[in-house]
Amino acid sequence: MRAEARQRPALAHLFFWFLFSQGGVLAALLLPAHVLVQGILGPLGFVPVVDRHHDTWINVLGNPLVKLYLLVFFAFAFFHYAHRIRYFLVDLGVHAAKSVPAQVIFYGGAVVVTLITLWVLLTTAPLFH
Amino acid sequence: METQAAPREYRWRMPGNWWTRNRHYFNYMLREFSSVPMALWMLWLLVEIQRAGGAASQYQPHGSPAFIAFSVIVLLFSLYHSVTFLSLAGTILHFKVFDRPVPSRLIVLAMFGMWLVASVVVAFVLVWFAR
Repeated sequence: MRAEARQRPALAHLFFWFLFSQGGVLAALLLPAHVLVQGILGPLGFVPVVDRHHDTWINVLGNPLVKLYLLVFFAFAFFHYAHRIRYFLVDLGVHAAKSVPAQVIFYGGAVVVTLITLWVLLTTAPLFH
Repeated sequence: METQAAPREYRWRMPGNWWTRNRHYFNYMLREFSSVPMALWMLWLLVEIQRAGGAASQYQPHGSPAFIAFSVIVLLFSLYHSVTFLSLAGTILHFKVFDRPVPSRLIVLAMFGMWLVASVVVAFVLVWFAR
């Protein structure tokens, strides 16, 4: 009986590890290009970028695939950031960051950002007029 | 009869500046900290998306020197995150193809290849649909 209990897969661990690792991978693969193009090259006027003009920006944001892409990107990346920032504080000696309330605040914060992203994507250039 | 005092527990605490003592520790903390500017930049992007929902006449994209300087700093942190995180794939991922283990160097190379492809696709979409 005890051996059976030990062999049970750690599903919660698997779930949180999946969120963390996928967030890290997505941020690693996607963010540098966004920052370079939207944060540097576009504002400097080196290249035309969709978010420099309202009409092109709203057109792109109206695409369901773009909405899905942004939602997945934000949801996973912010879970990754929440985990890393929490452990950054732990490593700095902030032991309270290990507590259950801190976990609720950090991972709950990631959920809140995801819900806000969903709301922003659904209300900005709505899919159904 | 002699009474013995209860043994006091020795609590060792890591000094707060442990990460400044070694370059590898410092780089580790830098990697952990990289999430802060990256998260802040993505929150800015979320605001930029939300602002698109307003009137076209009132839409003014960010382009101040301070914002560009912030983006340069975020780019450096995000590049550091990308290089360190994708390099870890060679250590974390272990699988076999035709009963032979895939070399870790090949896995890392594939991850960097994916990064290149993803960056080109993102940049292409952001620039192409601006026309």
